[in-house]
Amino acid sequence: MDALIADHVSKRYSGGDRGKLALQDVDLSIPKGCLFAFLGRNGAGKTTFIKIAATLLVPTHGEVRLFGHDVVREPERVRPLIALVPQEGKPFYHLTPREHVYEYLRVRGATRESALTRTEEILHAMGLMGVANEPNLRLSGGMQQRALVATILATEAPFLFLDEPTLGMDPFARRQVWEVIRRAARKGSTVLLTTHYLDEAEQLSDELAVIDGGKVLYRGTAEKLKLTLGREVRLQFSGGFTSEELREFGRVFSDRNRLTLLTTRAQVRSLTEMALERGSEVVVGPVTLEEAFLELVGKGIEEDEA
Amino acid sequence: MSIASQLRAAGHICYFNGIIPLWRSPLLIAAVFLTPFSFLFFLRVISTPELFKFGVVGGILFTVLFTGNGMLNDCAYLRLERQLQQIFVASPVRPLSYILGMALSELAFTLPALALFLGILFVVVPFGAAVFVALVGIVLLTWLMATSLGFLISTFFRQLREIWPIGTLVFSLLAVLPPLFYPASRIPSGFQWVAFLAPSTFSAQLAEAVLGLNQGSALSPAWLNDPWFDLAGLVGATVLFGATAVYLARWREP
Repeated sequence: MDALIADHVSKRYSGGDRGKLALQDVDLSIPKGCLFAFLGRNGAGKTTFIKIAATLLVPTHGEVRLFGHDVVREPERVRPLIALVPQEGKPFYHLTPREHVYEYLRVRGATRESALTRTEEILHAMGLMGVANEPNLRLSGGMQQRALVATILATEAPFLFLDEPTLGMDPFARRQVWEVIRRAARKGSTVLLTTHYLDEAEQLSDELAVIDGGKVLYRGTAEKLKLTLGREVRLQFSGGFTSEELREFGRVFSDRNRLTLLTTRAQVRSLTEMALERGSEVVVGPVTLEEAFLELVGKGIEEDEA
Repeated sequence: MSIASQLRAAGHICYFNGIIPLWRSPLLIAAVFLTPFSFLFFLRVISTPELFKFGVVGGILFTVLFTGNGMLNDCAYLRLERQLQQIFVASPVRPLSYILGMALSELAFTLPALALFLGILFVVVPFGAAVFVALVGIVLLTWLMATSLGFLISTFFRQLREIWPIGTLVFSLLAVLPPLFYPASRIPSGFQWVAFLAPSTFSAQLAEAVLGLNQGSALSPAWLNDPWFDLAGLVGATVLFGATAVYLARWREP
């Protein structure tokens, strides 16, 4: 069963961005219990979609149904089922993380006992116990973000919208948050997250969608997205080659003194032998999601410009 | 959520947005005291003891009306700067619970100042329990009217810097210019009705009538002197602003 179904959703903003189509005919379904990532450049339409699905914004056309309920016509049925980490949200600065989580749960209608238990659990899981009684204003930006994410994850809502949940967090904190998000999905919550960290999307998501210019360019697994390139290996050369030479073997990117080539497995042996003959250092590895994303979105940009 | 749950939600919002900040930063109370007590001080220096009584009533209503400005700024700040209104929209919390909770938290900030003003009022115009109850009723209606208006305005802007001057403008027009700190009879005859374009005038006239301050100072036209007219005006404005805040404010962006 699908937790979310979007049918031909478009959004045209009025006012300052008059005429700008933020979403164009988006069709999407997210199965129940799925951890789904939305990838895209800034302004691609990710947050607009989340705002529509989370009943914060009205679409211009189309329909979004969450657990069978229309988000525009039945928001009162949808809202008890959802919780949202807003993009660039910041917690109430005068509250401590413990108060923040507990009070939000109480506002949503949790009983005192349930709110207390869930507060302590989430603070522990998110590594916030050491600062649980410090007002948020004394915490670093990353810690404040953790307090806000903890507040939302503690709701255990059936559908969680996480708009850049790990923004500003250090790599250790990000991994801690990933684990809590995975746990929420294991408990049955459906999660829709946006992120600019492609390793995060790869680590966390069961499925993902790439959106650009308000259109969904790809929907599927991270592995399949990498395969769509038709080139599954990345070779990085330090010297010995020019980009013109390498272009006949695949897609070339230059990065400082290195050239990165995305190519097929069949080319690897001959290329590494050539590199050794020329005294070039070569690093071989699988294509990353970031490279697949850049390729996909880059093509979209080229097509738009053409 | 049931009505009891919605009321409990409002209570929690009041607790964490009003009581906790007040407890941790008591200096916030001084900010509420400062302007109305400054006005009162000037009035004490330059006016007669009879006019000072109007000044105390004006101080009470000014303090209550500025809960609307606080509501406007707080709601806009939470929505635009901290993106926190979104976490309440995407939740079972109804707009009315959020508005009520935020309005109660604004009232919490003003309670110490209101208590002091009422104490001064009791000294200059001794009053009984019935008058006290009536004054509390006027204060509550004025608070609901002002905070509803504050919330409504807060939802229509996208930049905090646009909101700051609007708040000062609207609530100064409601709390400083109309006859709150002075008797309406001081306005030239023939223009006195203009003061009633600001709904705060109804609050002031009603409070003065309850305290017996405006006896012998007739306004024209004569129906402006009727306390029932003032009560109807105050209730009407409160219902109008309250309903507008609940039904027209942008809980969800268009």
